[in-house]
Amino acid sequence: MKREIPLLISFIAGTLIVISLFVPHPPFNKMEETLNSWYIIVSGFTFILGIDSLLLYNWDKIRRKSKDWPFALTVILSFVVTLVWGIVSGVRTGHIFSTNSTFRNYFYLYIYVPLQATMFAILSFFIASAAYRAFRARSLNATLLLITASIIMLGRVPLGNAVLIPVLWIAVLLIAWVVLLEIKATTSASTRVGYILMLILMVVIAVPLTKFLYGNLSAATDWIMDIPQMAAKRGIMLGLALGGIAVSLRIILGIERSYMS
Amino acid sequence: MISFVLAAIFSVRPSPIVDLKVMDNPNDEGGQIVLKWEYRKDADLSQISYIQIMRIDKMGTAPIVAEELKPTAKRYMDTDLKNGHPYRYFIRVWFKDGSYIDSAISPPVVPEAQWLHKDRIAALVILLLYGALLIYYLKKARKGERLTIRPIAGLQAVDDAVGRATEMGRPLLFVLGLGTVSDIATLAGLAILKRVAMKAAEYESDIIVPCFDPVVMAAAQETVKQGYLEAGRPDLYNEKNVYFLTNDQFGYAAGIDGIIMRQKPGAIFLQGAFYAESLIIAETGHSIGAIQIAGTSSVTQLPFLIAATDYTLIGEEMYAASAYLSRDPNSLATIKAEDWMKIIFIGLILVGAMLETVAGLTGNKSWSFIKTFFAGGAQ
Repeated sequence: MKREIPLLISFIAGTLIVISLFVPHPPFNKMEETLNSWYIIVSGFTFILGIDSLLLYNWDKIRRKSKDWPFALTVILSFVVTLVWGIVSGVRTGHIFSTNSTFRNYFYLYIYVPLQATMFAILSFFIASAAYRAFRARSLNATLLLITASIIMLGRVPLGNAVLIPVLWIAVLLIAWVVLLEIKATTSASTRVGYILMLILMVVIAVPLTKFLYGNLSAATDWIMDIPQMAAKRGIMLGLALGGIAVSLRIILGIERSYMS
Repeated sequence: MISFVLAAIFSVRPSPIVDLKVMDNPNDEGGQIVLKWEYRKDADLSQISYIQIMRIDKMGTAPIVAEELKPTAKRYMDTDLKNGHPYRYFIRVWFKDGSYIDSAISPPVVPEAQWLHKDRIAALVILLLYGALLIYYLKKARKGERLTIRPIAGLQAVDDAVGRATEMGRPLLFVLGLGTVSDIATLAGLAILKRVAMKAAEYESDIIVPCFDPVVMAAAQETVKQGYLEAGRPDLYNEKNVYFLTNDQFGYAAGIDGIIMRQKPGAIFLQGAFYAESLIIAETGHSIGAIQIAGTSSVTQLPFLIAATDYTLIGEEMYAASAYLSRDPNSLATIKAEDWMKIIFIGLILVGAMLETVAGLTGNKSWSFIKTFFAGGAQ
């Protein structure tokens, strides 16, 4: 019974949600809303579990004086200060985020918001380092990615058109170098012929391509974003939608039970 | 006042409103009526001050002003009506000189609730087709027929990653992202977590699961516990290693980064719904040299994870993970049905593209029937 009852609940709740998608007639029209409200109420109570887990985990670290225990102490102190300050400020001013609330004016605006902004700002450095690794012209695919990304980046900045020619020629030379390395490394004769043909094609189209992009950089950027990029994205989304149906059916039919003990 | 009354009585101007259509709002729970209208081509809209939607609840009673609209409006939906009760409408056009003209009164329209959302018939057909394929493959699986799916590199690497972390004497870190337990990505992540927990129990490794959502934490605790049980090592299960971290996006990222820098896990699994914090976590993981296996349904985060982690499960691969890892025939049947659906969709896209081309070239919209059927109400 310990397994059957949760499976039955999953089946009934899942089936009702599916029916409510296709039947707008009452009582199905409010079914999803009602079940979501129940979920919100239940999840509200589970926050008590969450806080209990957080405090116990960190208290245990302090009690055992395990490595890095001062961090655990910082977490508990921050929790208590935030909670007490928030309650006191809320009671005094009527609302925790009223304009004369000290919690809002000192804690929220001068501690919480800058901390969040700092974490978000770090992202730009991580993007640079990840992009460097992804764009390193180690293989043909990575080189093609580098060239496409260069066109997109140039097309999205005001100075793009002005620096297009040198950047594009550097990219073309880079790809030629990579293709030469690939020709040298490959043992298959047919692959080698393919690379040589590609190299010839590149030499032939390099000048007309530069000329074309010089006047149409913005249009080319839009084309890359709207056609190949969007096609790939929609392919993934289609797979996601079908995969989502598969997972949902597995859960509704009780085939997927990994979330239960 | 006199001029106002005279203007109203002796007005010979025709109503600028033509073609007033009143209908029950389709595909709803009732109580709603839609009005659509056009303006006469020779009507001078600059002279109109505003228009009033007038509703007659019962013949012989005074009309009620349902709404006042700008003279550019061409559509209005009246709500909070009684199902099964007939309503009539007309539009009163007020001019800047203070006079008004009424349109013709519409025939009675009764708002009703519908039993089938007609704009979603295409989705219903897809679901039924999928259901039929699923039943077919489930029957095959129950007959004992072997169902195979293509190898997924990211999932094949799961055991190696756990083994590597064990050899290094480091714990495993499993991050379920920002999703709630109602997100399919989180559920798929939990299925992978069970497999990782089983392997961790087998190799006697520690597994740390900091959670963003308390409900997910409770589910993750159960999942890890079940994994240890199935591996025959319930004694090694430590509930305190699956804990709630915070419910704040960047606080969560900072917390995970702290765990990565302090505990230096040998393998990091990022499986679930991720947003802007994905790269912050993945790059920190890369900086300590941990083997990283990521998987997400967030299309915008996939490029970051592909760039920063060793293996990435792209969308549906993640959803197929539990079937792939468990090799359960019933679960594999759902994946086979999904693959056939994908083939059907590819066929439909190709045929649809050809038909749209023909429709564009001939100017005959009837060729667009596939698009019309699948677009439903979105058109």
